[in-house]
Amino acid sequence: MIDSANLLAIVLMASVTYLTRIGGYILLRNRSLSPRAMAVLEAAPGCVLLAVIAPVFVSDKPSDLIALALTVIAATRLSLLPTVIVGVSSAALLRYVMA
Amino acid sequence: MPTAKKRSRAGARHLSDHATPWAQCCAGALASVPVLFGIIPFGLVLGAQAAQKGLTPLEVPLLTGLNFAGGSEFAALGLWAAPPPLLLIMAVTFLVNSRMLVMGAAMTPFLQHLPKRKVLPSLFLMTDASWALSMADTRRRVQLGVEPAFSLAYYLGSSLVFYVAWIGCTALGAILGPLLGHPETYGLDMAFPAVFLVMLKGMWRGARRAVPWLVSLLAAAITYKLTPGAWYVATGAVAGIATAIMSAPVASAAKSGTPTG
Repeated sequence: MIDSANLLAIVLMASVTYLTRIGGYILLRNRSLSPRAMAVLEAAPGCVLLAVIAPVFVSDKPSDLIALALTVIAATRLSLLPTVIVGVSSAALLRYVMA
Repeated sequence: MPTAKKRSRAGARHLSDHATPWAQCCAGALASVPVLFGIIPFGLVLGAQAAQKGLTPLEVPLLTGLNFAGGSEFAALGLWAAPPPLLLIMAVTFLVNSRMLVMGAAMTPFLQHLPKRKVLPSLFLMTDASWALSMADTRRRVQLGVEPAFSLAYYLGSSLVFYVAWIGCTALGAILGPLLGHPETYGLDMAFPAVFLVMLKGMWRGARRAVPWLVSLLAAAITYKLTPGAWYVATGAVAGIATAIMSAPVASAAKSGTPTG
């Protein structure tokens, strides 16, 4: 069963999301960018990624901060899957031990 | 794969040049597998939360399949009621997903070889993870001198894995609902920071270029501590990008002559 009010909310929400997905492309397509603009666009993704995960860096739980530190160290020397395993297992273990 | 960097330049170039679209698609799908650790449990939890809010097992995959942006779905479900507050849900969705404007903009210089009729539907599938993996792949291909730098097949392979996993897990979560615990207990919420940190390593271009990142992190962390809601993502990103604009290489900008774009 699909409720019509829920369906409307879902369609409107999905439309907003799709606009954010194509907005950057629509605005910048067919424009040649200056090296300065390119340098800014190159820095932007890292800014977004760090902003998204910023809450972990200021967690109230010491266990999470230690797990994050271990994950950062792992990320600098390991590839994706081992780093994820270090992050997930250290967070689970430290939370269990330090709870 | 990070090991590709270690291969000899000529050897790797040879491999990439002759990779069929299907092989590139598989490479993208394979690179996405570690990220599923973070996506599957949260999809299950999101589905369970949606069921609690009164969404049916049919409405949940409709929501996650049409919207397909987990952060905004968590935020919207927190506000969901009968009837749902439409304007509030749209505003929060925009706020949480506004980072995709920046992500799409960052990807655009690499999409110029593709027609709009291919790019617009493809962008429907853009997520944090598939975008980050695809940008890392693009950078790798630039280093190897492969043309075009952006592989649509790699991007679609990665995106479709997340799409199928997300719809499947959220629908399953809506059905299983109350049987599930919190993914935090198993440390699974650390999967996303871990993935992003590895992505950042791939984007690293020296400490000076990373100053905007640090500003973004600090601004986001402070905003997160001081304000409720998802403002911290937008605040951090804007602060970081403002720093990048101010510290962008003025010398090379002057050399380029006419300021375009």
